[in-house]
Amino acid sequence: MTFPQGPVIWALVVVALVAVGAVLRARATNVKLRRHHAELRQERDALLHQRDELHVVHNGLLQRQSTELAEVRKDAEEETKAVLKAAVRTLQGLADEQQVVIEKAQRKYGDDPGILADLMAMDHANSQFGRRAQGIAVLCGGWLGRRETVASVFDVARSAQGRIRHFDRVRVNGQVNFSVVSRAVEPVAVVLAELLANATNYSAPGTPVEINIQAVPTGVCLIVDDAGLGMGQEEKDRAAALLSPQAAISVSSLGIPPQFGFAVSGMLAARYGFRVSVDSVSPYGGVRAVVLIPDELLTTEAPPAAAPAEAPEAAVSPAPQVRQADQWQAPAPAPTPLFPPTPQPDTATQPLAQITTTAGGLPKRRRKSPVSAVPSAEPQPVRSNEETASRLGAFQRGTRSGRDTTTTEGPEFQ
Amino acid sequence: MTAPGEEQQVSSGFVRSYVITGGRGLPDAEDLSLVTLVTLAPDRQPPPNPSPEVKAIWELCSGGYLSVAEVAGHLGLPVGVARLLLQDLNQQGHLLRRKAPPPAQLVDRKILEEVLHGLQVRFG
Repeated sequence: MTFPQGPVIWALVVVALVAVGAVLRARATNVKLRRHHAELRQERDALLHQRDELHVVHNGLLQRQSTELAEVRKDAEEETKAVLKAAVRTLQGLADEQQVVIEKAQRKYGDDPGILADLMAMDHANSQFGRRAQGIAVLCGGWLGRRETVASVFDVARSAQGRIRHFDRVRVNGQVNFSVVSRAVEPVAVVLAELLANATNYSAPGTPVEINIQAVPTGVCLIVDDAGLGMGQEEKDRAAALLSPQAAISVSSLGIPPQFGFAVSGMLAARYGFRVSVDSVSPYGGVRAVVLIPDELLTTEAPPAAAPAEAPEAAVSPAPQVRQADQWQAPAPAPTPLFPPTPQPDTATQPLAQITTTAGGLPKRRRKSPVSAVPSAEPQPVRSNEETASRLGAFQRGTRSGRDTTTTEGPEFQ
Repeated sequence: MTAPGEEQQVSSGFVRSYVITGGRGLPDAEDLSLVTLVTLAPDRQPPPNPSPEVKAIWELCSGGYLSVAEVAGHLGLPVGVARLLLQDLNQQGHLLRRKAPPPAQLVDRKILEEVLHGLQVRFG
């Protein structure tokens, strides 16, 4: 019985030995793996730590880059604005100069309807050009230009009307006995012009745009109503943001073609202290824009009756500012004819004209009864008994008409 | 930003002439010539809500005859613009017009020559 047991035992022993060996080997492997694992973990932790450090550095760099980028952008924007402002300032000056020249020409050649109409077309184009230049100047932090005198609210509205393309669609209703103080005259006119430009551009051609002037407890409202399609909520939000600017507006954010009406309005309103809103609906279904001029920017002072800049003498000398002051102080030294190119026949009234002058320096003719002002217009009856007197009168009239080559009137009418 | 003191002065006129005319066509110069005299017709009420220019014309013309040129001069407007406003008032029946002194019709050339000769003889 021992025989058969022998091999089994041996086999068991061998198996046991093999097993022990295997276990020992596995354990050795295990230990080795564990050690490796620990090493790897350590390595990983080190790498993770390194990564975190890098992350922090990266974030720091990113932040620095973005602040530097913003700074560079701001610098670039400011430099662009400074260059634009300087360039536009020249344009503004030229537009104003040209306007004065055109006005002068309008008064000089005003008697010819054809020439006057052409000059008016030039004036119209130039006014729009001037408004555009003013808009860019405002966006670049520049100024509009200052008026010397106050202007009635009605005239501010009409001045704004003259600065847009489709001025003939605009109606101004209502007059109040208030004037806008001189420093706010141009800003209010420019803002109103921008609102009118929007109103006429975003409504059907031919539809009217109304300006209603209303006195309210806190000032005067200029209400612009159009009959367009109105604005969507998104547009209204954008407009509201531009109309109450929190920060300087970037020129490049205005799109191509740039839409700077609201941006200009917002900046001017904030700078001069009046309010602009476009969030209501007009009775015609379009947009209702409201400019509220507060009491601080209003005065009851009446604007000068005949604006001195519009007086004919104003057109003659080249330095308007200086001249204006002179005009107020000293009346015109000599009664220059109103319209030099067309000599007037009523030389007889000239001595009278020296007596008084208007505020604008114009010679003021004394009002007379019609009989004394002109010779009778009836056909001259030949009076044989007073032939001498009649002929003397005829002689006087004859020489007068000989000097006057423009008198081509037909018979009298009423 | 420029300081307010650096602000340039604007010297151009404020209300443009084409706004005053409302962009309408201008009347012919023959219609109301420079020397045509105008005045307000008696007992007229001013039109409702007159523009400042119409108001000024009303005041100017209420005292007696003034020529178109004078009205334009006092208003500081081009003659064509004043003419249009006067034409409006005329069409509404507010104005009386009287044409300028007519060219004399009784001028005798012979008398003129005699006077000229007389003057030449007397004053060389």
